[in-house]
Amino acid sequence: MPPGAVPILSGRNLGRTYTLGATQVRALAGVDIEIGAGDFLALQGPSGSGKTTLINLLGLLDVPDEGEVVLDGRPVAALDEESLADMRRDRLGFVFQTFSLVPVLTAAENVAWPMSLRGLRESEARTRARALLERVGLGARADARPDRLSGGERQRVAIARALANEPRVVLADEPTANLDSVTASEILDLMRALNEERGVAFVVATHDPRVVAGARRSATLRDGRLVPAA
Amino acid sequence: MSPWSIALRNVTRNPRRSVLTGCVVTFGFCAFALAGGFMSQSLEGLRDGTIRGGIGHLQFADPAAFAEGAATTAGGGLTDAPGIAAILAADPAVAEVLPRLEFTGLVAAGDRSVPFLGTGLDPAAEARVMDAPRLVVEGAWLGARSDRALVLGTGLAAALSVRVGDTVTLMTTTRDGTLNAVDAPVAGLARVPFRELNDRYLATTLDLAADLLANRDGASKIVVVLKDGRGAPAALPRLLGSLAAGGHAIAGWTWIDLAPFYRQVRTLYLGIFGFMGALLVVMVLLASANTMMMAVGERVREIGTLRALGTRARFIRRLFLAEGLVLGIGGCLAGALLSLVVRFALNHSGIVLPPPPGGVEGSVLHVRIYAAAYGAGALAMILTLAAASWLPARRATRLRIVEALAHV
Repeated sequence: MPPGAVPILSGRNLGRTYTLGATQVRALAGVDIEIGAGDFLALQGPSGSGKTTLINLLGLLDVPDEGEVVLDGRPVAALDEESLADMRRDRLGFVFQTFSLVPVLTAAENVAWPMSLRGLRESEARTRARALLERVGLGARADARPDRLSGGERQRVAIARALANEPRVVLADEPTANLDSVTASEILDLMRALNEERGVAFVVATHDPRVVAGARRSATLRDGRLVPAA
Repeated sequence: MSPWSIALRNVTRNPRRSVLTGCVVTFGFCAFALAGGFMSQSLEGLRDGTIRGGIGHLQFADPAAFAEGAATTAGGGLTDAPGIAAILAADPAVAEVLPRLEFTGLVAAGDRSVPFLGTGLDPAAEARVMDAPRLVVEGAWLGARSDRALVLGTGLAAALSVRVGDTVTLMTTTRDGTLNAVDAPVAGLARVPFRELNDRYLATTLDLAADLLANRDGASKIVVVLKDGRGAPAALPRLLGSLAAGGHAIAGWTWIDLAPFYRQVRTLYLGIFGFMGALLVVMVLLASANTMMMAVGERVREIGTLRALGTRARFIRRLFLAEGLVLGIGGCLAGALLSLVVRFALNHSGIVLPPPPGGVEGSVLHVRIYAAAYGAGALAMILTLAAASWLPARRATRLRIVEALAHV
């Protein structure tokens, strides 16, 4: 993030320990991170380095044992479950490795879902969902259910869904891991284009060097800690 | 999108499982509706049999007649039966007024004499509303009120070795204690459903009984049959008020007060069918809970995704609840159809049920449509499915989101 810019999402001294049976696994320790408006940050690191844990904490999907997450200048630690749900709905977007679309909903309905949660009228939500699908190149497949879509198409629907409520930040956990290289490149290009044209920040946890190469900046995690840039 | 629309889609998502759960509900509902209909038919039959068997809807007698410890209503406790009957008959709810003069004594034929329980009655009025005339298996029921003839129970006739057309002698004491006797021909033989009563049953006309007892305007009790039996509890105080206004200080009872056997059978039936209903609910709950738990278990990850997107946990629970209700309502509709088909088959099967305790004749199986059983069945099944879907969904939505997302 450029010096002096105000972060929209930040983690301060984040730590998270999981209990697996009798073992305590320290997944994240002392992580400080800031995401600015329009940022495109690639989080890289080997498996088990804490990338997904950090994405979960920044996405308000999990609660840190240590430190705090601040979204739009507001610490979220004191918020209850419902307020956290509202913040995720209104200010964050998510793209998962396995696409995670609702199988009984069409592509347009999947994209419209977060808008409906926000109280948008169904007709308006559908119109906007179709426009988003057009933008990600899936206008013609708006009425298809996920099982009729290819992996790349599903991930495009997931990206459109992540943008449904015009979030400040989209958190993507290994979005290209289940895709072939051509499709992965297309998805990366799409995220970059959306980042540039809409100013929405992307935080992408990835193993894919092409994603790292295409990001504005990157951070490396190892053993739950951020590795200082060389 | 409405939870109902999503629920419908989810129900069709795994058709085999949904059909299985629907079948459990269908058969559960069907069993509920048919058992309820059968119970209702049995109780209604017993109630009608009790009322038409002689008790009527209301009875009026001397207050001492039915007092605790009173052995019988025999005798002529009411002294102005025609006056009382006229007041009762004037009420618009009353269909028939049946004065009865009950008495006991000995009936003799040849060198045999046997104790009897006799009733003097109005034969034509009794034939209109009571079953007694239909119990006659040989000969005929009594004719006019002035006829001097008898109907005997087949058991009593056998004890006396008499047949239709034979003459017997009735002996009893009059109101003032004098021994009196009359001769009368046997007009018919009746098979009374209770053996002990069949061995003592004697019916005759009011006029003959009045002559025998030397009690012209008396009656042991007056039985009232109403146009609508459901109005009995309301009619009793009204009729008692009319009688009191006419100067008759007598007591009255509804049929249910006078039918302890009916009350006992009803309690027994409610106990048996209540227990069966509870078992049915538990079985449906276990079967449907199993499939609903599988449905929820398979969608834990989806639940995690929905929550990550900002869906409230209670909305997700509502989705699963709607799914359970769709299955419950669908199963009940199918169950209602199935129960109608089974009912049709049973009612045309000609199956004859064994007679009730003390009875001599069975009845043809007839399962009626009992709206309350259908309502209770639907309520039980729908609530059961609601619980079976809501409880696992509640557990799933209590998982941490990251756990749900990582669920395999």
